[in-house]
Amino acid sequence: MIEVKHVTKKYGNFTAVDDISFTIKDNEVVGFLGPNGAGKSTTMNMITGYIEPTSGKIIVNDYDISKDPKKVKRQIGYMPESTPLYNDLTVREFVNYMADLKYVKRKEKKERVDKVLKDVGLTDVQKKLIRNLSRGYKQRVSMAGALIGDPKVLILDEPTVGLDPKQITEIRDLIRKLGKNHTVILSSHILSEVSQICEKVIIINKGKLLAVDTPSNLEEKFEDDNRIYVTVEDEKNKINKVAKKIKNLKSIEFIKDKNDGTKEYELIADKSTDLRKEIFNLFPKNDINILELKKTEITLEDAFLKLISQKETEIEEKKKKEEEKKAKREEELNKMSKKDRKEAIKQDKKEQRQKEKDEFNKQWEENKKREKEEKERVKEVKKKIKEEKTAERVQNKTEKAEKKVAKAKESLEKGGKK
Amino acid sequence: MGAIIKKEFKSYFLSPIGYIYIGVFLLTCSIFFYLDVFAYLSTDFPYMFGSAATILTFIVPLITMRMFSEERKNGTEQLLLTSPRSITQIVLGKFIAAALVVLVSVLLTLIYFGILCYFGEPQLGKSLVAILGFALLAIAYVSFGMFASSLTENQVVSAVITIAVFILLWFLPSFSSAFVDFSLMEAFYESFYLGTISIKNLVLLVSFSALFVVFTIMVLQRRKSVK
Repeated sequence: MIEVKHVTKKYGNFTAVDDISFTIKDNEVVGFLGPNGAGKSTTMNMITGYIEPTSGKIIVNDYDISKDPKKVKRQIGYMPESTPLYNDLTVREFVNYMADLKYVKRKEKKERVDKVLKDVGLTDVQKKLIRNLSRGYKQRVSMAGALIGDPKVLILDEPTVGLDPKQITEIRDLIRKLGKNHTVILSSHILSEVSQICEKVIIINKGKLLAVDTPSNLEEKFEDDNRIYVTVEDEKNKINKVAKKIKNLKSIEFIKDKNDGTKEYELIADKSTDLRKEIFNLFPKNDINILELKKTEITLEDAFLKLISQKETEIEEKKKKEEEKKAKREEELNKMSKKDRKEAIKQDKKEQRQKEKDEFNKQWEENKKREKEEKERVKEVKKKIKEEKTAERVQNKTEKAEKKVAKAKESLEKGGKK
Repeated sequence: MGAIIKKEFKSYFLSPIGYIYIGVFLLTCSIFFYLDVFAYLSTDFPYMFGSAATILTFIVPLITMRMFSEERKNGTEQLLLTSPRSITQIVLGKFIAAALVVLVSVLLTLIYFGILCYFGEPQLGKSLVAILGFALLAIAYVSFGMFASSLTENQVVSAVITIAVFILLWFLPSFSSAFVDFSLMEAFYESFYLGTISIKNLVLLVSFSALFVVFTIMVLQRRKSVK
């Protein structure tokens, strides 16, 4: 299980990742979505321990990355974004080196390297220098580097960028296969890919977490209307009149004339009502021939765009409000006499400072609270481990005692026989 | 750590840099061997290192400039730092690999000792002390070069920093005697070059190496939170 708790990463004044929290269960395939510069790679880099968060905690299978980095890193296979590789090594040498770095035992090394090379389809080029490989192959080598050592958690930063369609489907199949007994986190620009492979989607924009949900849930959530496209042969132009007879119809829109006697329309109804049956019954009765009828479903793409624009308008509105407030106050100040103005400005500054102070205190307390919780959690985990150990010991003891008793009995019996 | 040492050492000889370093080093050594020892018909083998020590200033950056700069520029640093190896292991691994390259080149100078043996009877003890001192000096240089390489992702910049600091270390003692005790080159000339081991100079050279290894570790550790 991966737990990300209130993680923030700041570069000077710029906040790349802002207070993100989520948990990922074992054997889940999770997709990271977000426009460029949203903080996907930064978050991934923090989970892998490549960079340290400014604040917050990341816990992978009960180990804190900043306290037990070695134990966490042993469980993670990471494929970085730009597929960095050692160009003067051959494919096999590279995978061997990664295996060594990950403490793969010498006895198992050959077998494991062979298996990984086969899995990603590199067996044919294993003796080639990485420098001479094409982009798609380099991507696979990077993938092999992540897979070697059989880590429980795989973090793949844009695994299918720059691949041809055949390779993309191959890699997707591989990820799906791996997802059965691995936890996989991948980031991608291609939304259809994410909705195909991932069981869960995490959407981030400008460092903020927007949604954590399954793709189908997200699609449902943003489906506000029921839209139906129809292509009809309507010689008498009766469609508008006929459509009015349909109950629950919100509106009907003309989309285009196909110039072969058919026209396309869009009928919009409430989310809860399905108009298809009614249309199918009603239109032919009124001399309108239906050539095509289909329900359009909102895709993850739409949900994604909606979510992002929603959040952005929210932020913009907030900004606007603040600016208005400022302008108002300035006007008020301008109306005052000089002396009053000075005083008022002082007052304002005081208030601002107080506000900042309050905010800081609030955050401070929150941090304290979190730390306390964390400590308790660690205590509990330790307690659990201790209990388990004592239980084991007790069991061992009882087993030993039982054995002794059994032996004693045996010897007694033997003695008796003698 | 063994894996890192092996790979790093090998990669010096996968690219031409390892060969160039050893080649240039032996070329200059041959010149100095001829000029300082052979031409005088002397058997004082250590004299060869007198001039060779100055050449280190310009050729050690050849092997140290790429140590961290290259990895950072190519992004392969990400692979290393996300592997279950600690930063200390990574730095030490790279340092030992580079030190091994230097050591190999220094041990190759025994060829000249062999040549002298053919013509006369050079003193073995004195020569070995000189070789030890020279190796320690070179390794101390490597450790600083590695530190400079961890500061920047540009190999040229790291090489220039290294050369500049070495030149400073070289000439500072001639400006003020206050620096004599801290000059690496003086440490070599004062004792090892003359065939004696002085604890003071031995400690100076070794601690200088250790110091910059630790500094490199600190730089990498710090970058984790700044990056």
